[in-house]
Amino acid sequence: MNHPTRWIAVAVAAVVALVAVVLATQVGGDPQADATKSQLVGEPVPSFSLRTLDDERLSVSDLAGKAVLVNFWNTWCVPCKEELPALKSFARAHGEEPDFELIGIVRDDSERAVKAYEPGRDIDWAIGMDPGARAALAFGTRGQPETFAITPGGVIAGAQIGPSTRDDLETLLAAARGQRR
Amino acid sequence: MRRWSWVVLASVVVGVVVWAVWPDGADRTNRVRTRELATELRCPDCEGLSVFDSSTSTARAIRTDIRRRIEAGASDEEIRQSYVDRYGESILLNPEGEGLGVLVWGLPVLVLLVAGAGLALALRRWRAQPAMRSTDADETLVARERRASG
Repeated sequence: MNHPTRWIAVAVAAVVALVAVVLATQVGGDPQADATKSQLVGEPVPSFSLRTLDDERLSVSDLAGKAVLVNFWNTWCVPCKEELPALKSFARAHGEEPDFELIGIVRDDSERAVKAYEPGRDIDWAIGMDPGARAALAFGTRGQPETFAITPGGVIAGAQIGPSTRDDLETLLAAARGQRR
Repeated sequence: MRRWSWVVLASVVVGVVVWAVWPDGADRTNRVRTRELATELRCPDCEGLSVFDSSTSTARAIRTDIRRRIEAGASDEEIRQSYVDRYGESILLNPEGEGLGVLVWGLPVLVLLVAGAGLALALRRWRAQPAMRSTDADETLVARERRASG
């Protein structure tokens, strides 16, 4: 083992083994995996203040003490249109509950387009406009639709990236209320 | 002479490393900082483009947000971290110098060090070997072969 080339071979083997161990332990899956889930679950809800289609202010403080679902959407997004019947059905089932609020935040769209949007004509939950995308960035959205569940204490309890089914929405509401489904 | 060559080589290496890592932010304008940070961040709603190169509304909003944070006094690291907190590590186009990022940045340096050490050892052995000289027996053998073939 005194021969220098053997020491070099051992050193190279050690480096290769180290690289293999690190790769095996750290590169287990999709490097973009965090793009499919929200980093904010378990974190306090970010602060936002929006103007609604009814020309009122909607801010985080208005939602305190309620289980809240925040849905980011817009009129030109096809998955948002596909999700809309589930949202309407969900809102009809839970809209009268005093400890619950569903709000929509329009991401990357104009107020005129939203008001003229035929499929959204009978939406009966609050819709806030986010023209500078500040709320969308604060929630770390990557697109739309995305839906976030917020507890009465103001913590993000769950998130659905992509269109939600009625069942997904019920799961999110249960998470916001600290219940299991 | 040999010692001096090592000192010069070490000075060059140290000089290059210092030049590479020395912060150059003293005279960067807010506009330049915004552009550099936007180049480092991946556009969240498009594939493989930086926030600087993308024209989506989200990318535009992020550029505005970066500018606003810079003007509010945030450091580059604070701005980067605020995006990592919301979007995860994948928002960074360049890996961080920790976790797997250490491997990405450190491996080439490690390979260079091992290769340099190997080369130094090989040169040392090569120099330590005595120059080959022909003996009287060799000369006699060559002369005999020449006579036989000639």
